Amino acid sequence: MKKTGLVALTATLIALWAGAVAAHHSAQQFDFGRSVPISGVVKRFQSINPHMRLVITVTDAKGTRDISFEGHSTNNMYRAGYRDGMIKVGDKITVYVAPLRDGSDGGYVTAASTADGRRFGPQSRAEQEAERAKAEGK
Amino acid sequence: MHERPRHSRWAGAAQYSGALALFVALGFVNVKAQQPDFTGVWTNYVEPGQGRAGGAATAGGGRGGAAELPMTAEGRQKVQAYQALIKGTGDTPGGFCLGTGMPGSMLGSGGYPMEIIQRPNQITIVYEAHNEVRRVYLGDRIVPEGDRLPGRNGHSTGRWEGDTLVVETTNLVEQADQRFAHSDKARIVERYRMTRGAKGERVLVAEMTLTDPVFYTKPVTAEKRWAEVPNGHLLPYECNEEAWNIHLEKLAEKRK
Repeated sequence: MKKTGLVALTATLIALWAGAVAAHHSAQQFDFGRSVPISGVVKRFQSINPHMRLVITVTDAKGTRDISFEGHSTNNMYRAGYRDGMIKVGDKITVYVAPLRDGSDGGYVTAASTADGRRFGPQSRAEQEAERAKAEGK
Repeated sequence: MHERPRHSRWAGAAQYSGALALFVALGFVNVKAQQPDFTGVWTNYVEPGQGRAGGAATAGGGRGGAAELPMTAEGRQKVQAYQALIKGTGDTPGGFCLGTGMPGSMLGSGGYPMEIIQRPNQITIVYEAHNEVRRVYLGDRIVPEGDRLPGRNGHSTGRWEGDTLVVETTNLVEQADQRFAHSDKARIVERYRMTRGAKGERVLVAEMTLTDPVFYTKPVTAEKRWAEVPNGHLLPYECNEEAWNIHLEKLAEKRK
C-alpha cells in the first residue's frame, strides 16, 4: 500500500515536471497587465532556469487544490531580491502573478512575499500606487 | 651656407628611431593607448527619460518582425516555415535551454548582463543567459579557416582600427529561429567603441552589419548600447536541471 502510494506520487511528480518542460512557451498566454495575489502553502518549489516552478496548495471559494505556476528565471529572481532558502516546502506564501488569459488556475510569478515578511520581485503598478498614496497621506 | 651632410640626416633619423624604440621598450610610449579596455560587466544602457534600453534599432528593417527585414524569397520562406511550425506553442530556443546565437546573443544581452575579458590576442565575451560564450581572436590567435567549427555564435576574429574594435563573425549555422534569421553564408561585422553616457559613465556601443546573400537582399544593420556595471558579477546560468531531474525520476521508476 505504501509502495503504491509512493509510485502514484512519483508518477504525479513526473507528470508535473514533464508537463512543465512541455510547457516551454512564450509569455503570450499571460496577462502581464495584471498582478493578482494568490496565497497558499508551498508544495513544491524549484528555483531553476529558464523559469522557476512552484506548486502551492490554495484554498478559496473554488475549494482546495494544488495550482502550478511558473515564473522568472533563478537569475532574474536573484536580481529581484530572491535568496536561497526564502521559499521552502510547507511555507505559507503569497505570490503575485500575471494570470492566464483564459482564466484557468495558474500564472506567471513575478513577485512573492513569505510568511516572515520577506519579498522579492518588483512591485506591481497597483502596489506602487498604493504605496505612493500612503506616502502622500491619502 | 653650411649644408648639413646627407649622412648626418640619416644618422639623426636613426638616432631618433633608436630613441623611440627605447622609449617604447621602456613603456614611456604606449602604442596601444588609443585602444580602450572593454573589460567589465555590462548591462542595457537606458537613455535618460526613456524607458527602453538603447539599441537594436535597425536600418534595413526596423524593430518589427522578420517580414520587415529585406529578405530574399528563400529567407522569407524558411522563416515562415519555422514560424508556422511553432505557431501556437510559443516555443523558443531559450525555453529549451539553447542559446540565441549571433547576432541575437549580442543584441539581446544586457537584461542578463554581459562580461568582457580583454587580452591583447583574445577578447572573451560571456552572455549570462544560457552561458553563451564568444571568443574573439586577434593576431596569431586567429584560427585558420579550415580548422573552424561552425556554430550558432560562429567564429569571431578581431582587429583594431584606432579606438574601434572590429569583429568579424563567420562560420555560422543557418538559423531561422531568431529575429535576425540568417543562413550559413552570413557574415556579421561589429564595430565596438567606447563613449560616455549622460552622466559621464562609460557606455559601450556596437554597430552591427549583417550581410547574407542567401537570406537578405541588402545588409541589415543594428546598434546596441551597454552601460557598465561597476564591480558587476555574472551569475551562473544552469538550465538543464529540470530535464536531468525528469530523466532521473524516469530511471528511478524503471528500477522499481
